[in-house]
Amino acid sequence: MISHYLQRHGIPTTTISLIREHTEYVRQPRALWVPFPLGRPFGVADDPDFQRDVLRSALRLLETATEPTIEDYPHDVPEGGGDGVWSCSIQLPEPEVSDLEAALRAEVDLLTPWYEEARRRRGRTTVGISGARPEEIDKVVSFIVAIAEGSGFKEIPPSARGPNWNHPFPMLVRFVVEDLRAFYQEAVTSQEGTNPPSQQDMHSWIFNRTALGQAIIRIGQQIAADEEPRLKMIRGLIVPEGFWRDEVSWGAAPPGMERIHFIRSSLAYLAGEEA
Amino acid sequence: MVRLSELHPEEAQHMLGRAALLKRSSFDFDATPWITPRPLPESRIALISTAALHRRDDPAFRFGDTGYRLIPDDIDPAELVQSHISVNFDRTHYQRDLNVVLPVDRMRELADAGEIGGVSPIHFSILGATESFLFEQTAAEIARRMHDLEVDTAMLVPV
Repeated sequence: MISHYLQRHGIPTTTISLIREHTEYVRQPRALWVPFPLGRPFGVADDPDFQRDVLRSALRLLETATEPTIEDYPHDVPEGGGDGVWSCSIQLPEPEVSDLEAALRAEVDLLTPWYEEARRRRGRTTVGISGARPEEIDKVVSFIVAIAEGSGFKEIPPSARGPNWNHPFPMLVRFVVEDLRAFYQEAVTSQEGTNPPSQQDMHSWIFNRTALGQAIIRIGQQIAADEEPRLKMIRGLIVPEGFWRDEVSWGAAPPGMERIHFIRSSLAYLAGEEA
Repeated sequence: MVRLSELHPEEAQHMLGRAALLKRSSFDFDATPWITPRPLPESRIALISTAALHRRDDPAFRFGDTGYRLIPDDIDPAELVQSHISVNFDRTHYQRDLNVVLPVDRMRELADAGEIGGVSPIHFSILGATESFLFEQTAAEIARRMHDLEVDTAMLVPV
């Protein structure tokens, strides 16, 4: 849609398309459909030749298209989207369910040198969307443990005070979880080997092999058990499709309430604007 | 990937819902004028990313946010975070290399080689999870900013 609005204000556009069906409906002026996983419009990290070819192909449409055009990019990403077998080279202990905090902190301690290595090598980290600085990862852990163990969704857990949290509560829960995931993912991909994990590999590893995965599922269970139905949207944002086993991930509207009203009310509630 | 048939059924359902909104809309897609762009070697190009990228000290994107954030072309990638809400897309490559979602280095290389006329000093970032019909005002504002920046063409990059 952005492309239509921009063109109507005199700016010609070309676009990468990830979901072909959407592009077919929207009929942007020029779209290059790429067969890559969602989240990777230019395909592959650290492969300038591949990225450049995708970019050139999308830009070329500005010279060749004379009517709304969808061109299919002919190459897939080299690993085919990554449904391959990946195993973490960092040995973590079996997740211990009886003491979640100890298990989580043990994992974070084991991963920290690898996280730091990745951060040095790349000159950046993506940890920090919650507002916590990477140095405050212990507060991120405290936050997750408290919510997983039932501190509720009325206020930020007292044990997690300190960081300059950058999102309203309870929506903040979603971004705190993402920050610890980013910490894990950056750590285990620090050795840029021949067979990097896909997001599906990461989901499987986190939810089947780590205390973090157990903590996230427990947060999902706390959400499910809470009497507030508007919380359920958060569960859909922290547990990927296919990893929540009890019921559908997205909250359904209570009986007698229209879905659109429920969604609007959920947004306001999650943003801390509505009790 | 990615045709809807290749997504997890629940994710596909969600995406189909968004597609159905597009299909049902009364928006007149055919009314958008065709614009013939300037030749690439004369075009200054800006990127628009839907990845909810923003600087660490920018206000984070809120759920349902229709605003935009500015990303200078010479940004230190360490300054950027991504507050997109979906858990169902691949962040592993972005975590290793910003160019997978925002190809600032590749754009600069094409400009240096003369393949494109130049790169906008400012790129634009929005939260793609927000319903796309709500972006009319924002897009109009971005277009105004692009005219001010003497940008000829926009390259849209979803995640």
